[in-house]
Amino acid sequence: MGTTNHLVTDSPERLTDLIRSVRKAQEKFAEYPQEQVDKIFKAAALAASKHRIPLAQAAVAETGMGIVEDKVIKNHYASEYIYNAYRDTKTCGVIEEDTSFGIQKIAVPIGLVGAVIPTTNPTSTTIFKTLIALKTRNGIIISPHPRAKNCTTDAARIVLEAAVAAGAPEGIIGWIDVPSLDMTNMLMCESDIILATGGPGMVKAAYSSGKPALGVGSGNVPAVIDISADISLAVNSIIHSKTFDNGVICASEQAVIIPAEIYDTVKSKFANLGCHILSLDEAQAVRKTIVVNGSLNAKIVGQSAYNIAKLANVTVPENTKILIGEAESPELSEEFAHEKLSPVLAMYKATDWEHALYLADRLIINGGLGHTASLYVNTATEKEKIAQFSEKMKTCRIILNTPSSHGGIGDLYNFKMAPSLTLGCGTMGGNSVSENVGVKHLINIKTVAKRSENMLWVRVPEKVYIKRGALPVALDELKGKKRAFVVTDGFLFKSGFTKLITDKLDEIGVQHTTFANVAPDPTLACAREGAELMKSFEPDVIIAVGGGSPMDAAKIMWVLYEHPEVDFEDMAMRFSDIRKRIYTFPKMGEKAYFIAIPTTSGTGSEVTPFAVITDEKSGLKYPLADYELLPKMAIIDPNLHDNAPKGLTSASGIDALSHALEAYASMLATDYTDSLALRATKMIFEYLPSAYENGAADPVAREKMANAATIAGMAFANAFLGVCHSMAHKLGSFHRLPHGIANALMLSEVLRFNAEEVPPKMGTFSQYDHPHTLRRYAEIAEYLGLAGKNDDEKLESLIAKIEELKEEIGIKKTIADYGIEEKDFLDRLDDMSVQAFDDQCTGANPRYPLIAEIKQMYLNAYYGGVKA
Amino acid sequence: MKLDKIIAVRTAKTLYRDGNLAIKVFNEDFSKSDVLNEALNQSRVENTLLNVPQIHEVAKIDGKWAIVSDYIDGKTLTRLIEEEPSKKSALIAQMADIQLEINRQKVAKLNKHSEKMREKIDACGLNATVRYELLTRLRSLRNDEVLCHGDLTLSNIIIDNDGKPFIIDWSHATQGSAAADTARAYLRFRLAGYIDEADEYLDIYCEKANTPKQVIHKWFPIVAATQLAKGLETEYEFLSEWANVVEYE
Repeated sequence: MGTTNHLVTDSPERLTDLIRSVRKAQEKFAEYPQEQVDKIFKAAALAASKHRIPLAQAAVAETGMGIVEDKVIKNHYASEYIYNAYRDTKTCGVIEEDTSFGIQKIAVPIGLVGAVIPTTNPTSTTIFKTLIALKTRNGIIISPHPRAKNCTTDAARIVLEAAVAAGAPEGIIGWIDVPSLDMTNMLMCESDIILATGGPGMVKAAYSSGKPALGVGSGNVPAVIDISADISLAVNSIIHSKTFDNGVICASEQAVIIPAEIYDTVKSKFANLGCHILSLDEAQAVRKTIVVNGSLNAKIVGQSAYNIAKLANVTVPENTKILIGEAESPELSEEFAHEKLSPVLAMYKATDWEHALYLADRLIINGGLGHTASLYVNTATEKEKIAQFSEKMKTCRIILNTPSSHGGIGDLYNFKMAPSLTLGCGTMGGNSVSENVGVKHLINIKTVAKRSENMLWVRVPEKVYIKRGALPVALDELKGKKRAFVVTDGFLFKSGFTKLITDKLDEIGVQHTTFANVAPDPTLACAREGAELMKSFEPDVIIAVGGGSPMDAAKIMWVLYEHPEVDFEDMAMRFSDIRKRIYTFPKMGEKAYFIAIPTTSGTGSEVTPFAVITDEKSGLKYPLADYELLPKMAIIDPNLHDNAPKGLTSASGIDALSHALEAYASMLATDYTDSLALRATKMIFEYLPSAYENGAADPVAREKMANAATIAGMAFANAFLGVCHSMAHKLGSFHRLPHGIANALMLSEVLRFNAEEVPPKMGTFSQYDHPHTLRRYAEIAEYLGLAGKNDDEKLESLIAKIEELKEEIGIKKTIADYGIEEKDFLDRLDDMSVQAFDDQCTGANPRYPLIAEIKQMYLNAYYGGVKA
Repeated sequence: MKLDKIIAVRTAKTLYRDGNLAIKVFNEDFSKSDVLNEALNQSRVENTLLNVPQIHEVAKIDGKWAIVSDYIDGKTLTRLIEEEPSKKSALIAQMADIQLEINRQKVAKLNKHSEKMREKIDACGLNATVRYELLTRLRSLRNDEVLCHGDLTLSNIIIDNDGKPFIIDWSHATQGSAAADTARAYLRFRLAGYIDEADEYLDIYCEKANTPKQVIHKWFPIVAATQLAKGLETEYEFLSEWANVVEYE
């Protein structure tokens, strides 16, 4: 076999030339399309397969190891099975595409593969590595072992010639003709990836070369025969595997472990099938022959049982299959406990299953970490033992009822394990891969990811009942419920609001109790008190009546009643995306149906998944957010709103306006939430002044405001809020300002802040492509029919309109106007700014606020104008 | 200097005593660099905590290189064992202690043990395949940088008349791995025919050093190959058997 222009590589200088030329060929190869690569892969596999017999003969003749007929199988396997496994595998260009998510995976070659080939399987390993390199458009240089250099290079040459004939670039496969350790090391340092098959020394050298290596380690495979096993199958399989190529496969059994109960039976089975059980004296002689000072004697590797016995001066029949040495210790001081790479097998008697596991584990730790373990067992009845064995063995392959030489390399006795002659041993064995090495390890995969938009949603209570007089009608639906728990505050209770409800409940035969102890800014203690009562009352429906406080308190009671084990700190944990939050909110509604009936027009809590509760001990506020907290039914009956006091009307009304404006500006806003927000905004501007001024005397304004608040609630329940609410939350809690007023004080500042067209930082959300909030505010102005020649003017008109509204409903202009002392405000300003920055509402804001910017907005709002 | 009192004669050198001085005279064909290297090694080791004869002079006497150092008045461990065989175990244990003490020292400028081993493997005369395995093995073994004597034997330790142990013959000193140095000492026992003593030494050493024997065993093929480089016909079969082992897959 001759190749044109083949220069002998026998020195580091020549190797440098070779590396250069293979790299050059690979650059061309990298451009080949899949179709052409597949053609080359096929031609190369066919050629290797055709030469399986001469290559096997050459390997045995040169190395003096193994059996020709078995090496033929290995060569056949390395060509035919590898081709079959990867014939249709995509390895070039786009190999995967997900159009709906906009993800594309592109395979590119790695470049130059440095392949170290062992003496035990020289031709088959060469065929394997060159074929997978061709399939992946890589160049490859083979470093043979000196003992097997001729047959190794023969195999490489056959694959190369066939590949080139089929169109591969000249010189895509190279090899070192006269191997030396220096050149092997040089190759490893110069390659892009190393496929190192060899002993621990070679694998370690590969890993320390500084290049990524797919190295494999030594095996010391224990085969445990459980008492449930089919003994004939077990013994025949082990003999078949252990004698295969005279035991040089690294996945071959090194020790058989047999429980005492079946030991004698198994032992005589081995003897009857042509194995020789060594006597004590013979075993001693064989020990000294196979292992010299703790290392394997090179002279026995891949030799027949007969020849090894002869070296030890032990007489056995020439056709003896395996020499079996009975041993007790699994430690390395016992020669039989080593990896023997020959038809010599250790046999252990285990006192029981646990002991068998112990022996197997020790053998693996002492010489086969990460490689392979084998178990013979009744798979139908002994699932527990299989699970124990799989868990305990520190190996990457657990082979059941299978000759392990054949089982470990895959696709012969099992059909979903990748066929391979390079078996990864995981980090246990100091390897970077824990599976059988294949084409996927020789490509780089580029992922092309298109910008994709997040799915959004509209979630509202399943029932929202509206219109004057809706309350008693809606409550008719509770027929069939047994016990209702009504939550409200003292004022509403005394004013008889709950009587409307309890009378109806009496009428339809639902038992009820009322908890009227909710104060503004409800506490955890209050919620716990209510939940205790619920626990004894066992309601199947909870009715919250009032403003934000009773509704929020009732939601928390609901949580505590259904899930007393919850931790509020976990529940209140800030999340960045409600769908990806770490905490899983408990399932709600399994014990009680939740109904919310607002009596003020502002909070929107009747249709939102939010609730805020204060821990009275620590003073911490827990803002909870999850759609599990969404009420099942909301009843908007303006009859309950008519007599709200002026202050409450203005504060809650302006809160509702800020909900609508923030939901409209939010990065999560959708056409659905936009229409809700716009409509609510318009209704509030139109009807809030009269509702404030005339109260019950303008029932239309009251009704419009009741609906506007709930509509705005639906908008922000889905689009969320922004930095105005973040700042209002902290301003309210630091300086005891009503929530609505706090929002009103920040609102105009926030509009100017968000409208900035070139902000220092924009919000992070896939569908938020550029800062466009000025336009959004202008849209609101247009919808309201406000004047303005351009967007800036429209924004100013909108702000003027807000300021006008605030004045009409008696809201003061600045924070200072509310009597907040300047020194106290400034002293705590930094802390308040940081906390506002970290508020849950900040995340949806279209402009990502810096802490200093928040501080500036607070200052502006305090003094009523830009103030440094 | 008077060269009339011969203490010992070796293949390539003769040892004389002149009062408090010991004079090691090398044969004419002995390599100058080896002589100077030995003197340099020893003078470097003098700076450690070990008891080492001090070098006073490197001279040329009648055309031959010579190293003049302290004469240690005492007996070698070999001699002590011969005189009192019942103390054998105790003396072997003392040698193990000395081995440990040597390997606790650091002498930064000495030659590297691994480089020396590599040169010796290249020159050991075994075939390329075996050398390839040995070099691969050498590369994979842990390489420390502690002081290695390189030829520690019972006869290279002298107990002076005050009972103080002195370590002599630093011609093979390097910096490398303690396990390799111990493997070498073990091999020297074996080559001298002291099989039981070798095993006893290894047992005691491993116990004291809290080192698994396998760690020392891993160096056996390498130290055997380096010994082969000396080209002694009588040791060939024994050493090549030790060297021809494999460790793969």
